[in-house]
Amino acid sequence: MSLDPGELHGRDHAAFLREVHSFEFWFQSVEGYLHGHPHGVSPDAPIPELDAARRQALIATLSTYCVGEVAALEGSSGMIGFAPNRPAKIFLATQVVDEARHLEVMLHRLGELGVEDAEASFEAQSNPHLLAFRDRLLRYVAAKDWLASVFAQNVILESMEFAAFHTHMRTADPRTAQMLGGVLKDERRHIGFGENDLGRHLARHPEARLRLREIKRELDPLVLASFEDSLEQLGLPRSERPEVGRLYLESVARLGLDT
Amino acid sequence: MTGDPSAARSRPRRRFVLADDTGFDEVPARYRRFYRRWRGQGDALEPNEVLCPVCKVVIRSARELWPGDRVYCMPCMSRLEVVRAESGRLEAVVRY
Repeated sequence: MSLDPGELHGRDHAAFLREVHSFEFWFQSVEGYLHGHPHGVSPDAPIPELDAARRQALIATLSTYCVGEVAALEGSSGMIGFAPNRPAKIFLATQVVDEARHLEVMLHRLGELGVEDAEASFEAQSNPHLLAFRDRLLRYVAAKDWLASVFAQNVILESMEFAAFHTHMRTADPRTAQMLGGVLKDERRHIGFGENDLGRHLARHPEARLRLREIKRELDPLVLASFEDSLEQLGLPRSERPEVGRLYLESVARLGLDT
Repeated sequence: MTGDPSAARSRPRRRFVLADDTGFDEVPARYRRFYRRWRGQGDALEPNEVLCPVCKVVIRSARELWPGDRVYCMPCMSRLEVVRAESGRLEAVVRY
């Protein structure tokens, strides 16, 4: 049941969670920024001419993004089967749709850049650290390990993507920036779901922090190496790089996983 | 919202009219006036606004925010409590 919008901040938490985890909420949210945007861009956005070096760098970067999107697509779809409650299952169903769309718009952009069979080639072009991260994530999912899966996918991977896309938008050509902007809006929901789900769990089971810290210690080198490589590719000065990882570091600090 | 029960307030809260269209399009239309984009470090927040620490969207209320108030960030689905930071500024902390 939706409450009066005027009472938004006055509603109780359970009613709020029921609404924001619903398919209806998702549909009305994405309608605001995706309606009339085939492949995530305005129909009148021109396809820019890029020089060879810039085009090649963009192909490599988008290929890496595709690996992240496939990992999240397979991860979130697998997690539906062992999610602990119905709202989480429904939220993950919306995330599956988001990730599928991200993959589709990125493959479409690769096609615009002249990549003939983007689907067959993106993995070979992508970052090896992210491939290793993906394998770890999918192992957690295969083991039906909810905490590890949510942490790896919705906190680590999604924070990394959020920061990378946000940074990339600043220097990307307008068409790519517009596509990334739409993806970024979806990512807010994904990182929020992960942090809040884990936060609620850790409030009841603080002892679970020990295990999550261990997972973090194992995954951090892969995450940081993926970050470094992507930022290098995007030409971001070293002085600005600590800023990019801030979102992830702040999130793990709020969850008490930074020590 | 719970207000600030401990403080002896000498004046009533100010009320704010929330413009219907802040350009924020990430939540259903009926809720958009409660949010706006954050414009970065130089973006001065109004007394009825607070920044979501999770997703960096500005959350707005129809009334002045006081420490102890609860607000919701719909874009990232977080429940937050307004606190007074050491700097004197109002900030939001996540209450899972």
